[in-house]
Amino acid sequence: MSTGVVQPTDRGDLPVEAPLEEASSTPPRWYALVWGNRKARVGIVLLGFFVLVAVLAPVIAPYDGARTDFEALLPPSGAHPLGTTTQGGDIFSQLVYGSRTSLLVGLFGGLFATAIALVVGLVSGYKEGTVVDDLLSFVTNVALVVPVLPLMIVLVAYSDVRGLPLLVFVIGITSWAGHARAKRSQIITLRNRDFVTAAKFSGESTFRIVFREIMPSMTSLVAAGFVGAATGAIGAEAGLSFLGLGDPSSISWGTMLYQANAQGAVAQGLWIWVLVPGLTLALLITSLTFINFGVDLLSNPHLREE
Amino acid sequence: MALLEVRDLSVRYEPRLHRPLTAVDRVSFDVGEGEFVGLIGESGSGKSTLGTALLRLTERPGRISGGSIRFDGKDITDLPEDELRAHRWRDIATVFQSSMNSLNPVVRIEGQFRDAIEAHTDLRGAAVTGRVRELFEMVMIDPRFISAHPHELSGGMKQRVNLALALANRPRFVLLDEPTTGLDVVVQRSILDNIRRLQQEQQFAVLFISHDIGTVVDLSDRILVMYAGRLVESHAAQGLLRDPLHPYSKGLLGSYADPREETIRITYVPGRPPDLTQVQHGCAFAARCPERIALCGEQAPELEPIDDGLAACHVARLQRTGNPDGLDLPPRTVGFAGPEFVKTQEETARVLDREPFLRVEAVSRVFERRHGLRRSRVEAVTDVSFGLRPGEVTALVGQSGSGKTTLARMITAVERPTAGRIRFQPEDGPEVAVESLRGKGLRDYRRQVQMVFQDPYSSLNPTKTLEYALTRPLRNFRGMTAAQAREEAGRLLERVALTPSSRFLGRYPYELSGGQRQRVVIARALAAQPRLIVADEPVSSLDVSIRAEVLELLQSLVHDSGVGVLYITHDLLSARMIADEVLVLNGGRVVEQGPALQVIRDPADDYTRSLLAAVPNPFADTLVP
Repeated sequence: MSTGVVQPTDRGDLPVEAPLEEASSTPPRWYALVWGNRKARVGIVLLGFFVLVAVLAPVIAPYDGARTDFEALLPPSGAHPLGTTTQGGDIFSQLVYGSRTSLLVGLFGGLFATAIALVVGLVSGYKEGTVVDDLLSFVTNVALVVPVLPLMIVLVAYSDVRGLPLLVFVIGITSWAGHARAKRSQIITLRNRDFVTAAKFSGESTFRIVFREIMPSMTSLVAAGFVGAATGAIGAEAGLSFLGLGDPSSISWGTMLYQANAQGAVAQGLWIWVLVPGLTLALLITSLTFINFGVDLLSNPHLREE
Repeated sequence: MALLEVRDLSVRYEPRLHRPLTAVDRVSFDVGEGEFVGLIGESGSGKSTLGTALLRLTERPGRISGGSIRFDGKDITDLPEDELRAHRWRDIATVFQSSMNSLNPVVRIEGQFRDAIEAHTDLRGAAVTGRVRELFEMVMIDPRFISAHPHELSGGMKQRVNLALALANRPRFVLLDEPTTGLDVVVQRSILDNIRRLQQEQQFAVLFISHDIGTVVDLSDRILVMYAGRLVESHAAQGLLRDPLHPYSKGLLGSYADPREETIRITYVPGRPPDLTQVQHGCAFAARCPERIALCGEQAPELEPIDDGLAACHVARLQRTGNPDGLDLPPRTVGFAGPEFVKTQEETARVLDREPFLRVEAVSRVFERRHGLRRSRVEAVTDVSFGLRPGEVTALVGQSGSGKTTLARMITAVERPTAGRIRFQPEDGPEVAVESLRGKGLRDYRRQVQMVFQDPYSSLNPTKTLEYALTRPLRNFRGMTAAQAREEAGRLLERVALTPSSRFLGRYPYELSGGQRQRVVIARALAAQPRLIVADEPVSSLDVSIRAEVLELLQSLVHDSGVGVLYITHDLLSARMIADEVLVLNGGRVVEQGPALQVIRDPADDYTRSLLAAVPNPFADTLVP
């Protein structure tokens, strides 16, 4: 007899390999997980509402948001649901059109900051301990300690053209550092897994290992980072616009607040003009924060049972 | 009345987003005063869930859904936490599965004992220190470690401290949940001997949970076998060895053998355990059982007395207590009538006179570490020489810290030796100096040398399908197009017996059992058509019931393809099963080298002897036909 496997011969019906059952315990899909969380559901509905308003702005708003040829300081009425401003703009229409700016800045600012954070964080983490990591970590650390608001103000104030792309750019390059840090520490825990070594032995390039093998394992962190960055971008845009550094040709909730403040709306008792943009801004940021509760469930299964 | 009486205990997991499952299903057993009871089963059988439930530590989403636990006559199933506290650690103590981490890292050892002792006794001050000293002597640790922090202790010492801590208040019942998993064989042996000796001296009852049947049989008076959440057999240890009742017990026992035998046979249980979220019809083991009859698929057997034990098996019951309906039964066996892996002595000699393709010549590796101003040198590997031949399996045996992993890292060119040479002879072209490879040379070398990892659960990317895992090396190393690679990936899967491959290509690793995953890892290693496969403990994290399956596959691949395998392990039995040549490493030096059977039968070195003595040997005084 030689070495090898012996199959018993007396019973031919032996299950050598039990049949593979259909996968029965598929992990829940990510959208089911996020939707399963009550806070996240509230956030998604709320955000969906804002997106709908932004997309359908021309349908919903009674007038173009840029029009200022109405009678000034009209009280709320059928023609002007929230009244008019001191310059004769319709507050409701401005509010509806303003949602577009906030959402666009949130989307692109978030994407831009996440992209920088991903590249810097993943590369420096994967190359931990090398010169590349030293350099990228140094840049990250500098970006972390630079006072962000003054930097943004300086960047915007000295630019020739003001507009949305500038805002997105400034917000992006001032807010990536924290997220890059988080991704760097995450990849350090992942890069010593056996499957990464296995990928090296499969002849994969470093680029593929980082972005194709490792990154999918940190999707939830990337998603949470994006939602956080978008929230920050929306707040930053409102802040810059409130300081008068926004895009003068477009309407945003920040510019509405800026004008309300400049015209002394509070002193004149024009509460609606101040309150409404502030409130919608707060609601939008709340909705994103709620969504992040749901995204947290993706990365931390222990939270799912709460 | 028994000390611990468990009746119809069920534990259900009801997660919000998954289907609920019954992890422990109507389990009943007793543990008598001073009895040493072993509980075995493969991973996922519910043994740890059962242990946790006995301690009333079940956490959401799990809950005790039925039955009762009585301790010393008192029902503790629904006892409020405050009343439980009086019993915990005084009557019922435990050594946890992850006890390497269960000591508080910021509190000195003595403080942790003091907490446990002062909470339940009147001892205070110096009296407590005296008691701790006594406990330390009991588990054979130098008392000067009393005031140490946990990080100053080695893994084995931590485990002894945990054991001492469990015994601090002279409990009547101790639950040991895989207390030595992750420790070295030699350390493991001494801890288990310690446990058994203390148990005999102090007469506490033990429930010892383990997946390692060798150690359980060695230690226990009585053994419970669990499968798919149910108890399938309860039998005195000697009775189980002599005449196991349930086919699953036979399968577990069959996965064990004495490495000193001339011809070794180990069986494996094919397939995987049932999905507990599905409703079971009939016996849960039927799908994997070589002895099943029609009745097994229809009616679930109950645990009932058969001969001198208890078992839940129709076939065993009908065979032994009469067959009134005259059903057609398989012949009565002691062994598992499933697939078997047999290792004989013949081939080795034939292989050993081939010319080596990889030569390790006087290789050393020194690590230098700086602690503040001091520098320390650690010699991980010192002056090691050997050769690897095509079609040969060389086992590198040693406990952790013996330098076997460092040696493997140098051979795979992950690390460079500080002295010595490693020479690799490719099939065509000039000899390669492995120790000085970089860039393209390194990439070409990686194609020739592939790895199989210890843990198949972490060596396959959980986010990628099997097709992705297998086609990448094909496309990178063999320049195949996507379609060619897919076809070849299918062939590779067939080669490692995952058939039909079309059903596996699109699957994700979580859909496979541990044994199947390890086969995929082996298939990926083969994809590059290497000359050498370095297998680092490829079976130690797998259930015993499927180890033979993977060893058998490796063995047949070596046979068919002529690839050389460097098999790294601390387990002499598996080394004996698969290796032609064995190298025993201790403290970075080769202390013994030779044909596998010769090294294992006539060890020349003391260290090899101590390794062999540490192998649990339940068959030492029982003759299994």
